[in-house]
Amino acid sequence: MSEIVDRWVRRLKGKLAPVGEMTHWERMVAAFELRPSDLVPVAPELDYWQITYAGYSHAEIYHDVDKTTDACLRTWADLRTDAIWMYVDISHQIENFIPPEKRPEHFLHRGDKDYLLFKPVAKTIDEAIELYESRAYERHLDGSRAVTHYTPHMLQLLEFQEKMDRIVPVIVGIATPSNYAETLVEVQQFVRWTVTEPKKVKRYLDLALEERLAALDFYAEVARAHGLHFVCLFGGARTWGPRQLREFGYADERFVQKAVKLFPYVFWHICGHNLPEAMQLLVQWDGIKAVQYDMPYYGQKLSWPEWCESVARLFAGKRCAMNSPTTQTACHGTPDDVRRMVREFLDATLPHTTAVVMPGCEIDSYSPVENVRAMIEEARRQPLP
Amino acid sequence: MEKAQRLQKLAQAVLDMDLEGVVPLVQDSLAAGLSPNEILAEGLSAGMRQVGEKFKQCEIFMPEVLVSCDVYYRGLEILRPLIRQGGGPVRGKMIIGTIYGDIHSVGKDVAVPVFQAAGYDVIDLGVDVPDERFVEAIREHQPEIVGLGTYMTSTFMHTRETVRVIEEAGLRDRVKIICGGPAVDPAAARRMGADDASDDAWEAVGKLDRLVEELRAARRSA
Repeated sequence: MSEIVDRWVRRLKGKLAPVGEMTHWERMVAAFELRPSDLVPVAPELDYWQITYAGYSHAEIYHDVDKTTDACLRTWADLRTDAIWMYVDISHQIENFIPPEKRPEHFLHRGDKDYLLFKPVAKTIDEAIELYESRAYERHLDGSRAVTHYTPHMLQLLEFQEKMDRIVPVIVGIATPSNYAETLVEVQQFVRWTVTEPKKVKRYLDLALEERLAALDFYAEVARAHGLHFVCLFGGARTWGPRQLREFGYADERFVQKAVKLFPYVFWHICGHNLPEAMQLLVQWDGIKAVQYDMPYYGQKLSWPEWCESVARLFAGKRCAMNSPTTQTACHGTPDDVRRMVREFLDATLPHTTAVVMPGCEIDSYSPVENVRAMIEEARRQPLP
Repeated sequence: MEKAQRLQKLAQAVLDMDLEGVVPLVQDSLAAGLSPNEILAEGLSAGMRQVGEKFKQCEIFMPEVLVSCDVYYRGLEILRPLIRQGGGPVRGKMIIGTIYGDIHSVGKDVAVPVFQAAGYDVIDLGVDVPDERFVEAIREHQPEIVGLGTYMTSTFMHTRETVRVIEEAGLRDRVKIICGGPAVDPAAARRMGADDASDDAWEAVGKLDRLVEELRAARRSA
């Protein structure tokens, strides 16, 4: 029972104007099951944007889950997107590897509108392996292993989802083994080691996988029991080449195999410059319902519509495509730019598969609100085939 | 071994990511009488240009590019003191650093050797560089180009602040400012007061050339 949740339920339940003929939940489920829906769902990963939109700073929400939850619900009540994203920052991945008194040294936070960064916790692959072998993540637990101090926030959002009779789903992001492995040491080091230290990288990934599989048990026990259905598996591996995907993709694949058995609507988040090979891999991994993808790899020289169409053809009958506009356009473009990009994505995608409108990565906190609104409006007015 | 053969082997070492082999190759080439500038320009740098071509053609990818950069650096470390003694023309001078609040360096780690291989004298200020450090470095090194590495959309937004601090120090007219990284957007960079942006180190070399030429032309006409 949470006062902040009850306050929002009292304010919203039975009082919201309908958006289309389906509920937000039904619309997302239809897209994930590759069935027709009344409108194209729009579910941007609002992340830290929703915190600043609601008028809070990171300092305020970091130790106050009520404010974190309030920000997410306030934003949803205003925008009526088709999903509510739980807020987490990168601290939830690294905190468990650092003693509490040392954590502030690892923060890197430039200003109130900036995403939180953490300095790496290991400089060499041997140090990183040692962190896992010594099970550092168990020594420094803050109550739960999976989302550290944001666990109560996750449970509050799920409480809202259930008390609102599942009209709108909550999306919870769970970091993949490759993401953990990269984050702890900095991605630029990790990708080098895939070339120079492949055996150690394999050992390191095996340990990261072991921890991540155990973390899924936590999500299954705690979050699933509270109604979690929609899970975003957010990936590292964004700068990997085909060789890395072949040699080290197994860790994420095994992680996926377990996640899809636990939750009905699992999707993969792969931001950055995407390789066609990565897309093909994601089509082969059974159980993933959708892929939140991003822009084409540097060398492909494809236009935005060409890239979206190539992905949609690959996904036909297999995956829902989640994209558009790019994070950069959402932040730096005009509302017209955003609308054009959304239209191009949908025109290229809907003849082949279902779509959810959302950038390939989070909406940056500097993105103008009119751009976010333009994305939602354009998705809502798109005629379905 | 012929000179051309030695230079080819040096380029191949960069392409093959031969971290162990590059040092003896450079030392042997020096012992055989090749000049440090030849080894750098026609050996190691030629290898970096081939890496760029293969990257553009999707024959190699970011992890391999980063290791090739490391090989280039290992060779360069031996040559650097010798090249400084010998001097030699450079295409331009730049300082580069990841903007304050950002610790990422994948792009910068690639960009610096690519720019050096193209003939630029590059001073790397590292990551999480405060705005004031850029000002100090402009005063100290007198560069023509300031490169701002911004690898997240939010840190790219701080370009405006960094440019403002450089302006307030009275140094804006002395340099051209270019942003780099996957999050950059050239039009947005210009709106924030910078001169250009690129997410591709090899493409950026052409932009550096143009910016240096514009700066020199402005100086001539002043």
